[in-house]
This record gives sequence, C-alpha cells and structure tokens, in this order.
Amino acid sequence: MMDNEYNAWLKKKEAEARQKQEQFMNRIAGKLKRPRQQEAPAHPFRGAPTYWRELEWGLEERLARFEDNLTAAGGHVARLPDLKAAKEFITVKAQELGARYIVRQDDRLLAELGLDEALAAVGAKVSVWNGHRDEAWIARAAEADFGIVAADSAVAYTGSLVVQSAAEKGRSVSLLPTALFAIVPVERLKTRLGEVLETFDAAGREALPASIHFISGPSRSADIENDLTIGVHGPGIVFALLVG
Amino acid sequence: MRTVKERAELALNNEFLRKAVRFTTERLRDGKRKASEDHGNWEEWRERGRQIRLHTIAHLDYYLNRFAEQARANGAHVHFAETGAEAVKIALEIAAHKAARSVVKSKSMVSEELHINRALEEAGIEAVETDLGEYIIQLAGEAPSHIIIPAIHKNRHQIAELLSREAGEELPPETSVLAGFVRRKLREKFLSADIGMTGCNFAIAETGSIVLFENEGNARMVSTVPKTQITFMGMERIIPSWSDLEVMATLLPRSATGQKLTVYMSGITGPRRTADGDGPEEMHIIILDNGRSEQLGDPEFQELLNCIRCGACLNACPVYRHIGGHAYGGTYSGPIGAVLTPALNKNVAEWDDIASASSLCGACYEACPVKIPLHDMLVYLRRRKVEQGYGNKLETAGMKGFAAVTASSKRFHRALKAGRVVQRLVVRNGEIPARIGPLKGWNKYRVAPSLANQPFRERWDTLQHELRASAALTVTAQAAQERMKAALNRRAAKVEGREAADRTQRSAGDHAGPAFVRKEGQTYDG
Repeated sequence: MMDNEYNAWLKKKEAEARQKQEQFMNRIAGKLKRPRQQEAPAHPFRGAPTYWRELEWGLEERLARFEDNLTAAGGHVARLPDLKAAKEFITVKAQELGARYIVRQDDRLLAELGLDEALAAVGAKVSVWNGHRDEAWIARAAEADFGIVAADSAVAYTGSLVVQSAAEKGRSVSLLPTALFAIVPVERLKTRLGEVLETFDAAGREALPASIHFISGPSRSADIENDLTIGVHGPGIVFALLVG
Repeated sequence: MRTVKERAELALNNEFLRKAVRFTTERLRDGKRKASEDHGNWEEWRERGRQIRLHTIAHLDYYLNRFAEQARANGAHVHFAETGAEAVKIALEIAAHKAARSVVKSKSMVSEELHINRALEEAGIEAVETDLGEYIIQLAGEAPSHIIIPAIHKNRHQIAELLSREAGEELPPETSVLAGFVRRKLREKFLSADIGMTGCNFAIAETGSIVLFENEGNARMVSTVPKTQITFMGMERIIPSWSDLEVMATLLPRSATGQKLTVYMSGITGPRRTADGDGPEEMHIIILDNGRSEQLGDPEFQELLNCIRCGACLNACPVYRHIGGHAYGGTYSGPIGAVLTPALNKNVAEWDDIASASSLCGACYEACPVKIPLHDMLVYLRRRKVEQGYGNKLETAGMKGFAAVTASSKRFHRALKAGRVVQRLVVRNGEIPARIGPLKGWNKYRVAPSLANQPFRERWDTLQHELRASAALTVTAQAAQERMKAALNRRAAKVEGREAADRTQRSAGDHAGPAFVRKEGQTYDG
C-alpha cells in the first residue's frame, strides 16, 4: 500500500521532471540562439593533449613512480614477489597491529591466497563480503580493523588504487576499516589516469559498476589550522602490495 | 545585511583571520605552483580544459539531456529545478516520503546556495555536515569562508570549544584529538542517517555518472551507507566523457590544493545493483538552474559556466587575501564569487558593490585552470550597474565632469590652473589632509598629494636636458633622495600626531588606529 503510493508519487515526479527537462533544453537552445542540438556534436578536444596520451613508462618506472607518489601522500608500498609473500605480509601486519576483525572482498585472487586460515591462526575473525548472502555487511566493515581488496587497476602517475564495486566487492571494504590493504598484481599498474578512464568509455554505461573509486592515500584533512590529520573518515593506513 | 565596506572592515580588524587567510592562501598557492610546474606544459592543459568546458557549454542542451537520459537508464531519479526553492521543495518531498529523520551531507557549494540545512531543520530533520571544516562551521552557525577550506577563519581554540560543547566534555586544542572526536561522532551519524546528500564535481554525459573529488572520505560515506542518496548538481557541471575527466582530474586537484589527485575520486553510476551489499537503494539527482542559464548566450559572461570550483582565484587574489571570504557576503567568495553572485541574480538593484572591490590586476585569470577572464567580467558588471542606473550618483556626476574637462586640452589646462589656485585653501605642507567632498574616502587612510606648482608637461623641456646631462644625474638623484627622505619623515610625524588627535574625538566603535594608516600618497602632476 505504502509502496504503491510511493511508486505513484515517483511516477508523477518523473512526468514533472520530463516536462521540466524539455523546458530546460529549449531554454538553453533559445539562449544560445539556435535550434535544439539533437545529435551528438563532434568533440574535437576530447581527452588529454596528444603528447600526453603517448606517454608510457616501462614496468620498473611505473613501480618506482607509484611508490613515490603513494608514499608522498602518506601511504605505504611493498613490492612482493608472489601471492604467498602477500599473505605473509598481511598476516604479520595483523599480528603487529593486533587486528581482531578483518573484512575482505570475495575476490578469486584473495581466495587463492589462503588468507582466511592464516589470519584465523593469528586470532583474527575474517568476514568475506558477498552481497548474495544476507548479512549486515556495512556493520561487518565498520567493525573491521583491516579491509582487504584486490585493486582492479592502479595508476603510477597519481599513485592511485582503483576499486570497482560489485556484489562481491563492497564499497565499504575500502572505506570503513581502520587500515586498507590492496593487492595489486603488477600487470594491472598503468602509467596514466587516462588509460583507466578510457576503459569506462569503451565499456559503456551498461557495463559500469555502481561505483568506481580512485584511492590515492589515507583519508586526510587540513581543516583545523592547516594541520594535516590522517584518518578523518576513511582508513588512516593504506598499504599497496605490488605483487609480481 | 552590512555593506561590503563594513564587512571588509570587520575582517580587517580580525588579526587571526587575516593571518590565517594569508597563511592558507599562500600554502595553497605555492602548492598549485609546484604541482603545475611538476606536471609541465601547464598552459597546454589549461587551454585543453577551457576547450572542453567551452565545447560542453556550447552544446549544453545535448549533453545535459544525454546525461539525464543515461542517469535514468542507470536507475537514478532525475529532477530539474529552476530555482533554489524548487530544488529544496523536491528534496523535502523525498525526505517526507522516506519519513527521514536525519540527513548526512558531504561538502557541496550548490547546497550552500540552497540553504538546504535550514529548510531541513525547519521540517524537523537533522542535517549534519560531515566534511570536517563544514562540520565545524555548522556548529558555529556560520558560512564557509573559503571554497576549499571552509573553516579557514577558525583557530584551534575556538574549534576545541565548539567540539567540547558537542562532546559534553573538555577537549584539548590538539588536532588529532579533535579530529578523532569528529571521526567517532560522525561515524554514528553516517550509520544511522536515512538520507545522504552530495554535491557533484562533474557529471559524465555519456554514462550518466556523477564524479566526486574529496580527501576525507565523507562523500564516500554519504554515498555508501544511507539507503537514499540525493545529489545536487548545477546544470553546468557536465563533461562529455570519462576521457575528458582525465583533464579535469589533472587541473582540479592541482589548482585547488597542489595535490596530484585528491585522496578519493569516485564515479557513481546509478544506485546499488541488486546484489550489492552497500550503496544507496535509491538515488535522486536534482539538477539546478538558479540563474545559471542566464549566462548562456551572453558573450561577456557565458565563460563563467566553465568554472570547476577549484578556488585557485581566491588564493591568488590580493583582495581576498586581505578581507577573507565572509566579506563577500554570498555563498561564493573571492573573484569567482564577486562575479558569480551578481551574475546569478538578474535583479541589478540587489547587487552590492563587491565588484568594485578589485584592483583588476588579473591574478585570478592567471590562476584559473580554465582561463575564465574574471577581471574583465568585473568591469562588465560595473558597467552594467551604471548603465542601469544603479551607480553611485556622485561618482556618475564626477565621471561626467572628468570627461568634460579631459575631452579638451585647453579645458584641462585651465582646470589645473584653477586647481592650483583653489587648493591653497586646503594644502598643508604640500599635502591635502582635508576629508571633504570626493577626498573623504581617500583621505581616511591616506593623504592626498597637492597639485604641483609647475605641471610635468611644463617641466618636460628642462627634464629632457637633465636626463641628457648624465654626469649631473647622480648628483640630482642623491639630492632628490634626500629631499624625499626628509619629506617622508615630516609626513610620518605629522600623520601620527593627527591620528592621535582624531582617536580622542572618535567613538570607541571606530577601529582606525596607527596600524591602519597607509601612506600611499604619491606626487603626480598635470
């Protein structure tokens, strides 16, 4: 009953909005003193300057620059030979920092790590995020000391980790815990921001996830007398583990 | 509302504010300079940014329509609001249908334009600003004074006092303690809020996505935890594609804070997908005009819509750096505010004279990552105000008189001659200290120089000889310097004496004192 009423209201609002939309577009065209633009116009200035699009660093330079940039923003970077080393790295950190609750994405790469058993062995309770199962997921992430994700890609030029949302990959995993660990297989590390952004244009609207986050360091603020504070709302500790 | 002059005077007398604004703007400006030099080819990027914005605005009907259609296809509810009041009404209706009791907000200049917090509170809904700086000024009941660092004008002791009241216990004025309290406090708010409200830095037409830039993570919280998301978006926030975002993401953080990228850049494409474990179940996007479309087709002001709200013009502006954001009296401060506030308001009668508070130095244009000629726009605003009869009557008369005198060289020389005779009544030791007529404003803080007995033009022949006689030059220069020093000493002693006398006469409310005296009188001839 309530729902029906609400849906009827939404429908009414949409009809109103569509009418307003026409008014908006006609007003814009009128102000610009030309007929309505119905077709996509040619866009001669799309994207970054040409010289920039030709820039591509070799793997070693990408790794070095990524580390420099993320470290400068207050993050930490470790270069590890394989997934086994990544598992050990996280386990040691969990022990060092006394992590009790850990939340991770239900990612194949992370499952292959065999992390859960190793972390359980050092006394941490691991939740594996998966929206297909019923669970108070946000609460699981909010209580977590560590959030563990596999980055979908990374950008050397800006020192950014890229994470996309999905049923198995909650946005909260990279946001609510105190510390964030992101595993980055080195072949996912790009030179420029544009290399990642262009893939979203190529994929098109329907293929995009609800959210895509570029994370370039720990949460920060300088709002109190320009004094830098780390971990205001998001994780105050960010580790990028470059694997391979 | 006070006048610009009164607001500026208030700011100029707040020593902490002036120091804080200067320190912050210098820090941000240096950051921007380093970041743009480090990136290289900055001019080419600025030009690219400008072209993308020009192109988008020139075809705004196509791109905005495309964005709305694509956002709907993503499952978002799109609304259009002509005025701020309409946008508020839509948001309140949504809140009412959701029986919302609390709203968490991330920083958004558009929502400042709407005064949505007040409207929500009147409807009995708690509205919490979650950006650290915005939270602080919300507790203080104030408006942001800088587009990027809203609480620039508050010191840590004031902040500790505000937060202690909220905490119900005494918090020490230490940044880490204060920020830690805010983290805990706002966590509760995020987790219990019914609605999250965000602004929108860019909207991508091709995929109907909105993009948010931030450092704290509160915009992510607001768009992750509550079940309903409402995004306010200025109708001009559009860019065509994700590829274009690379240019904006290069220009915006570097220009705003000198960062290579903000800590978080988030692209949100519709509400959560069916099986997602978080994110809003319902997403509303309210697209706002509120005077923006007035700029379209106006050759003088259309480029105003290119603005990406980075705040670089504030940090570069010598006027902003002296008087701070509140003196501008509107939602937007600094050079962009001085132009945007009147431009968004069709009613010229309601414009105040903030456009006159500028030296037109063009530093804002130099700093702007999309090359908006703000200093030209300030002149256009002044002209429009005068043309529509809202200029200063006395000034208009003065300008007419000036035009009449200077239009003919004979009249000009005659006027100067008369001036030299008449000024004898008011000249004291080569200066005119009297605060009468048109000299009132100028002489309040300075001393007007007198007209020279022999005008420059009449001296030119002699001067030419002097210049040629290079051997004699050094002697002349030395003598001139000595004369100047003596004159300056005399003047300083006298001005101080006069100020002391004045202080005793003035009421306690008047703040002028020795620190206020500017000695900027130069000599100029006819």
